[in-house]
Amino acid sequence: MEKDNRIMIPLGPQHPALEEPESFNLLLEGERIAAASVLIGYNHRGMEKAAESRTYVQNIYLLERICGICSHSHSTCYVQTVEALAGAEVPRRALYLRALIGELERIHSHLLWLGIAGHEIGFLSLFMYAWRDREIVMDTLEMLTGNRINYGMNAIGGVRRDITPEQAQKVLEAVDALQARTEYYEKAVLGEETVAQRLIGVGKLLKEDALRLDAAGPVLRASGVARDIRKDDPNGIYPELDFNVITDTHADVFGRTVVRVLELMESYKMIRQIIQQMPEGPIAVKVPARIPAGEAFMRYEAPRGEDVHYTRSNGTDKPDRVKVRAPTLANSAAIAHMLEGGYLADAPIVIAAIDPCFSCTDRSVRVVDARSGEEKLFDWEGLRKYSVAWYAKQGVDLSAASMRLRGD
Amino acid sequence: MKTIERIINWSRLKSPWIIHFNSGACNACDIEVLAALTPRYDVERFGVQLKGSPRHADVLVCSGPVTLQQRDRLTTIYQQMPEPKFVIAVGTCACSAGVFDGCYCVEGGIDTTIPVNMYVPGCPAKPEAIIDGVVKLLGTLESEESKAKKKKKARKGAAEVVQAAPTIPEPPKEPEEAKKA
Amino acid sequence: MEANFERENGVLARLNERFGLDIQGAAVKHNRVYLSIPEEAFMEALKFLRNELDFSHLCAITGLDTGENFEFLYHIAEPGGIVVTLKYKTKREDPVVIQTVLPVYPGATFYERELEGLLGVTVEGLPEGRQYPLPDNWPKGQYPLRKDWKPAKQNIDEPTKGV
Repeated sequence: MEKDNRIMIPLGPQHPALEEPESFNLLLEGERIAAASVLIGYNHRGMEKAAESRTYVQNIYLLERICGICSHSHSTCYVQTVEALAGAEVPRRALYLRALIGELERIHSHLLWLGIAGHEIGFLSLFMYAWRDREIVMDTLEMLTGNRINYGMNAIGGVRRDITPEQAQKVLEAVDALQARTEYYEKAVLGEETVAQRLIGVGKLLKEDALRLDAAGPVLRASGVARDIRKDDPNGIYPELDFNVITDTHADVFGRTVVRVLELMESYKMIRQIIQQMPEGPIAVKVPARIPAGEAFMRYEAPRGEDVHYTRSNGTDKPDRVKVRAPTLANSAAIAHMLEGGYLADAPIVIAAIDPCFSCTDRSVRVVDARSGEEKLFDWEGLRKYSVAWYAKQGVDLSAASMRLRGD
Repeated sequence: MKTIERIINWSRLKSPWIIHFNSGACNACDIEVLAALTPRYDVERFGVQLKGSPRHADVLVCSGPVTLQQRDRLTTIYQQMPEPKFVIAVGTCACSAGVFDGCYCVEGGIDTTIPVNMYVPGCPAKPEAIIDGVVKLLGTLESEESKAKKKKKARKGAAEVVQAAPTIPEPPKEPEEAKKA
Repeated sequence: MEANFERENGVLARLNERFGLDIQGAAVKHNRVYLSIPEEAFMEALKFLRNELDFSHLCAITGLDTGENFEFLYHIAEPGGIVVTLKYKTKREDPVVIQTVLPVYPGATFYERELEGLLGVTVEGLPEGRQYPLPDNWPKGQYPLRKDWKPAKQNIDEPTKGV
């Protein structure tokens, strides 16, 4: 509720005197965000330094845990750098298995995102449904690797586990089930009028700005830029798979939703090809512990976008320097731009639409009114509730959509 | 135990309010905590509710190794929780810093900063393990009084069995195993 | 199979042609070029690669301490998939000052802040802002990525407390 352009927004439950640094600073003019600044650095642990005192093999397990949602992406990108330094020729079967886990990870990540996005806009059934369906892919990953997240699949020189024909068959069944569910979401979510009202025009990022600010992944592709490492700079067996790079021209949050849903469909297609085309053979080559001196730079298309690893070796069994640039950081320059000019009520979904790590949204948002200078500190849940209520007042209420999703 | 205490203890046992905090994790455990709320695992059937405020929470579910930037916030949240309060450390990092041990921005497991009542290891801890930890913790909230009541009931049940089937050997005087809730 | 890396070598040839840079020491692999150049030549070479050879995407900036010097690596990519890692070294003096590349790559802010925070380098031209990625309660003057900086607890084989 607002009065004379001064903000009277209910405070989140976290006491403002908590004094913990906020993630976002928003300057409001009326209900619109005039300026936004992004303050991240929430989760620094010091992994790059730690990597210098661990062996190359130990680092697989460390770097896998940069982010649990795209752990295989980080692990694969890293071992690719070490394999390049060692001059190792990874067997083709191992490359196929890596791609299989990679695409399964993409599916789990996009379904997770779909649920979170639903949660952010008050489309609660979507959260429950998407996460329930996501359990199909979690079970599949657990069957293949022994874990639901942090798979430990990679070794330097290949992969650690093979798959049996029975498991391959189960993967195909899982993909069939997931495809049916995703086709349902395509209709019920992308075709749902209140979703369109809620997301179209929100968080606009025109193509030239997406390029100028160097955005990544689905955010970039939703602004019409056909960039995908799996096509542009592929590693492994991606050149042998037939798939499309999904782009959209909406250049807004709706477009980012479309891209992720359609990318799911491409991943199902790819997994079927992977199972069918996977050659017989060994799953790893032996690589010595000491890696010859050199440097290697590798890129990987993680579910959130381009993930980048650089390794410098010095002839010992420990790296001299490990550098990681995770995909979310690449989108940080673009978030402020996407928030500016939009409504405060759009902030939660715009931020969520770049698919940031959870910890990012664990923080407060400081909102300052440009005219009165009044400051309020929101916690994430408080801002989300404000946003759902604000849109409900405009007549965009997703609880009806929730009922329709369940009713089918 | 006074009546009011019994009511509070009963309501806490039946419906603990939980606050979740990520003290520097890679998000894997946090996703599994959230997954515990979804239909497959449905932790809410145990009466557990996820709340946003430490001031109303009984149980702090904490993931991640304690990073330098989260340490003070973790302490503050713990201090804001009213007594009695309980802490569950979810995941290997929360238990002992896990792979991040030795990283310069990492203090260590949760217990380097606040007291922990329940450790749920795993990397990440599976939703079943998290629920198991929560339920086991609830078990420790049982008052002495109700524990004694249950013991009495179990002994009575064992005696009835002996009468029904005389070939079953005499149960021991104080059946310890029967306490299993 | 003899790989001749035509496209990659073509990039080096253009750089040599334009700036007379010594490309002998460059490492060329599939879709990868690693080239060290003198600090003075860096900014012009970067602009040339971006504006004339379409290396429009800055993937990352790596800063590292070689002991004797600080070295800065700019990883830039063009749409065809080639990534050039353009490197230069500076003397390890106090303070180390380098120029911002923001006019060339507007997305570089956080990458340059990281150089300031973790290596203790000053990036001239970088606008004011909160430090990244170290926490606010990090002691001043401590730069973890320097080789002579050691954390308190380094040995991961030492037994940990608790569980």
